[in-house]
Amino acid sequence: MMTPLLINWSHVWMVTGLGFCMVILLLVVLIFILKLLGAVVSNAVKAPGVAQPKAISAPAAQAAPAAAQASADNDLAAIAMALHLYFNGVHDVEPTEIHIKRVERSGWNSKLYGMNNLHR
Amino acid sequence: MGDILEFFEQMGFMNMTIQQGIMLLLSFFLLFLAIKKQYEPLLLLPIAFGMLLTNLPGAGMYHSELWTAFLDANSPAYHSYGTIMREGGLLDILYIGVKAGVYPCLIFMGVGAMTDFGPLIANPKSLLLGAAAQLGIFLTFLAANSMGFTEAQAGSIGIIGGADGPTSIFLTSKLAPELLGPIAIAAYSYMALVPVIQPPIMRALTTKKERAIKMSQLRPVSKTEKIIFPIAITTIVALILPDAAPLIGCLMLGNLAKECGVVDRLSKTMQNELMNIVVIFLGLTVGATATASSFLDWSTIKIMVMGVVAFGCGTAGGILLAKLMNLFSKEKINPLIGSAGVSAVPMAARVSQQVGQEENPSNFLLMHAMGPNVAGVIGSAVAAGILLTMLG
Repeated sequence: MMTPLLINWSHVWMVTGLGFCMVILLLVVLIFILKLLGAVVSNAVKAPGVAQPKAISAPAAQAAPAAAQASADNDLAAIAMALHLYFNGVHDVEPTEIHIKRVERSGWNSKLYGMNNLHR
Repeated sequence: MGDILEFFEQMGFMNMTIQQGIMLLLSFFLLFLAIKKQYEPLLLLPIAFGMLLTNLPGAGMYHSELWTAFLDANSPAYHSYGTIMREGGLLDILYIGVKAGVYPCLIFMGVGAMTDFGPLIANPKSLLLGAAAQLGIFLTFLAANSMGFTEAQAGSIGIIGGADGPTSIFLTSKLAPELLGPIAIAAYSYMALVPVIQPPIMRALTTKKERAIKMSQLRPVSKTEKIIFPIAITTIVALILPDAAPLIGCLMLGNLAKECGVVDRLSKTMQNELMNIVVIFLGLTVGATATASSFLDWSTIKIMVMGVVAFGCGTAGGILLAKLMNLFSKEKINPLIGSAGVSAVPMAARVSQQVGQEENPSNFLLMHAMGPNVAGVIGSAVAAGILLTMLG
């Protein structure tokens, strides 16, 4: 432990100010590098001779985001419904019973000898 | 009869001091928090058990005096790992990994292998929020100096504001190893308390309208970008700040193993087996440094107070910068994602999501908050490198 009078305050302030500025500066440099990386990679992906559609008609350009939004809304609705069904246990459960019952006929259950009518 | 008396004299009960008793009770309390309340149990449980083991009188599993001699230039055991291996107990030997800065780096490798940097690559401006949230580190450094700590100790206390356990341990083991126990426990305790500490600050610094801001969907990130990212970050950061290279290098190695897709076995090992083994060793040994003589001290209480100040300032820094960015940017940012800049992955991002949904249930901020959140990991490692360069 040090008494406040023994502290080299100029150095402390320098470490505080310079240290924080260096963190900001270094991360700003990284932002530029990431932006550059994004630009380079997206150009490289476009480059190999894939012809991009040059002109999109104005109504089509307006319709595209609207269609994308509608599609996203449908996706969200489907996901929300699935979660609702799952968490509330209302999802339909297939019964495991087999309903088609074949009646085996033999001398023991023949219509001739039986008292009741058999299922058909 | 003499043998029986000698046996009784050797029992731990007969040699226990009041301080050791208090430390044992504290370790029981931490075990309760880990098991019953599930506060960061993966780390708190081994830390609490390490604390229990080191404070058992006569067990001889950890010798703080050996490590004092290890740091004393006039001692024959100065920087002698041989002495530790020869005379130390189990926990002394495991502690070599902390002392040499090995465990935090290996944990960072696992963290890298589990982290998706996609949201950060898609929105690089998140890095600014991650940087602003490091404000807590430097303000606390200033405050700790005024409270009488040395500069090296103040730097170690300040790094608690980075909300990053391995980084705190890495820096403290280099700058102020005598404070390792209290600092590690403070860092992990406050990380577990992120959902309690952050929301009041977030609500106090933002308006209802700001909290309800919806952000546009992030762009998809290609695999190529994800592969180049760790290589580029390691190269740039290590060239500018060599002291940050061990942490950033290991973080990015883990991430590269995950993203490249050709070393799945290595990636899985980093995420699971390696990570778990190192967490056990790190937790036990960090807990072992919390001996009665080093822990039951006024400085521990001061560290706890400074830790929460650091956390609060970091949270506020991120939020305030997000608000400032909104003044100049056309596309509005929800300021709640700024608080996620204090590392603590992914807890801080989840808190942003929760507080955002309280105002607008249809608002999904999680992926947006993951950007500043992982930027905070990089930011705190960079801040640690800077403090190590300036104070080491």
